[in-house]
Amino acid sequence: MSIQETISEFIREHFEIGDDPDFNNDVHLFNEGFVDSFGAVEIIHFIEENFNIKITQKDITLFPMNTVNEIAAVVESKI
Amino acid sequence: MDSLYTSCAAILDRAAEKYGTDTAFTDSDGEISFKELRDLSRALAASLIARARTGRLCPVMVFLPKSIKSIVSFMGSIYAASPYVPMDYNVPMARFRATAENLRPGAVITDSAGREKLLAAGITETILVYDELVSGKADNATGIDTITTDLDPVYIMYTSGSTGTPKGVTVSHRAVLDYTKWLADTFDITKDSVIGMQSAFHFDNSVFDMFLALYLGCKTVIIPEVLFMYPQMLFDFMAEEKISVIFWVPTVMISVANSGVLEEKKLDELKLILFAGEVMPIGQLNRWMAAYPNCTFVNMYGPTESTDIALYYIVDRKYRAGETLPIGIPCANMKAIILNGKNELCKKGEQGELCIGGTGISTGYWNSPEITAEAFVQNPLNNKYHDRIYRTGDLVYEAEDGNIIFLGRADSQIKLRGNRIELGDIEAAASAMADIKSCCAMFDAKSEQIVLFLETDAEIVRRKFNMELKKYIPSYMVPQKIVSMPAFPHTPSGKIDRQTLKKEYMEGSN
Repeated sequence: MSIQETISEFIREHFEIGDDPDFNNDVHLFNEGFVDSFGAVEIIHFIEENFNIKITQKDITLFPMNTVNEIAAVVESKI
Repeated sequence: MDSLYTSCAAILDRAAEKYGTDTAFTDSDGEISFKELRDLSRALAASLIARARTGRLCPVMVFLPKSIKSIVSFMGSIYAASPYVPMDYNVPMARFRATAENLRPGAVITDSAGREKLLAAGITETILVYDELVSGKADNATGIDTITTDLDPVYIMYTSGSTGTPKGVTVSHRAVLDYTKWLADTFDITKDSVIGMQSAFHFDNSVFDMFLALYLGCKTVIIPEVLFMYPQMLFDFMAEEKISVIFWVPTVMISVANSGVLEEKKLDELKLILFAGEVMPIGQLNRWMAAYPNCTFVNMYGPTESTDIALYYIVDRKYRAGETLPIGIPCANMKAIILNGKNELCKKGEQGELCIGGTGISTGYWNSPEITAEAFVQNPLNNKYHDRIYRTGDLVYEAEDGNIIFLGRADSQIKLRGNRIELGDIEAAASAMADIKSCCAMFDAKSEQIVLFLETDAEIVRRKFNMELKKYIPSYMVPQKIVSMPAFPHTPSGKIDRQTLKKEYMEGSN
């Protein structure tokens, strides 16, 4: 499974999105109401554990992590 | 502050002379010194005066992401003698339009992306792009002569209105000057302090972060907004920046406490912790106080109409669960009066409406004389001279020790995660949606959720409905729960039976 697929699957399941046709890898997770702000920490936890990486405050401030593709790009740069 | 200062522009002039090249503000793009801030703000003012209507009746809307550019735009507007109007960069365009219609601004300052958005939404005001405004030569700016009196408006901040139209709370230079002086006199904040700014500029807690720095010459760090979603990283950032003073909304302090970071990471420089905007729960406050036993904690209270803060309470003992933290006593330039239903002064312990007077009281709601006259009234206890007070709508009582205790609201205004919300504002937006026959918004205080009841035959998908709502209301007003039904229960007089709705659907669901 690709990084995108892994992240996408986690978000779909964890935030009970199911097969909502509006959900895709470029949709803004927070603005479009798929994930609330508390969920952001859960996504970070998941990618840190799953990909064995560390996300720092600099990563968060420098790179947007609002879509599956944006999150995947940060993960990719770390492994 | 010398009482000769009658304009907030004078605070920046003084800071530029006194603190020069010291850092005034930092954001994720860089930093700016007091002198640079003055020069850039003056250059912006010169361009504004050349390209737009300016002056006390011509407010300037600032539609920019939270950054140093926003501060330059605010100070530039002040130099041009125009009140500044901070707009949420994520505001729905329908709300922007409603605000502009009430405001009739002289200009809107934005960036190129914001300009595109405003033009696409058909906003017809004078739209000026920030980068073009400050590209002029600095010597253009030497001739700026800001003529204002201390009672002229310095800013207008829009808050939720019960009929769906936002209200523009107008605040004078005098109010900001006196508030700033009181802060500096009361708390241990010095030139060496570093303020960690959380507030958005369109909330008046930002007055603290901005003007206190200009007055004392200390540094304010604009904390990147995204970090508030990740408390662990937020603390790493604050440690690096050596932040010593914070003035935050309880919601943020609660999420930090709940994340466990207080017990894991220590901020060695932190000295002063102030909070305002909603009730601070004792449990989370105690976690903060246990982690920072040597810090001063201050519970502040004040509606936007009282220039950020009217009352304050320095926490002087440990509170137990179930106790209420007082909102305390008035600031030096303010007074608090508690009136009962007959407009008489309440005795100690007697519940009444909190009314606030003093130099920090707003001059009223911009271009809205009727609602201004309802909320700002002559002090009924004083028939000798003009003495305006603001009726807050907050129910309180005075305890034996003289501290004021907040009990709740007398109307349907609520506070959620620090945001002030009129439920009628949400209802006005929801009734405008297709297929909605009627609607009714309620606040479930127990679960801290807004519940929206809809009378409709259509099938409502919550996320989609909320996306539609967000075209009209800010996201913090979007309901957490939607209950729809084909027909509402009604009272014998034909009104929506709110009690039955509440009982059957809210209590039943818990």
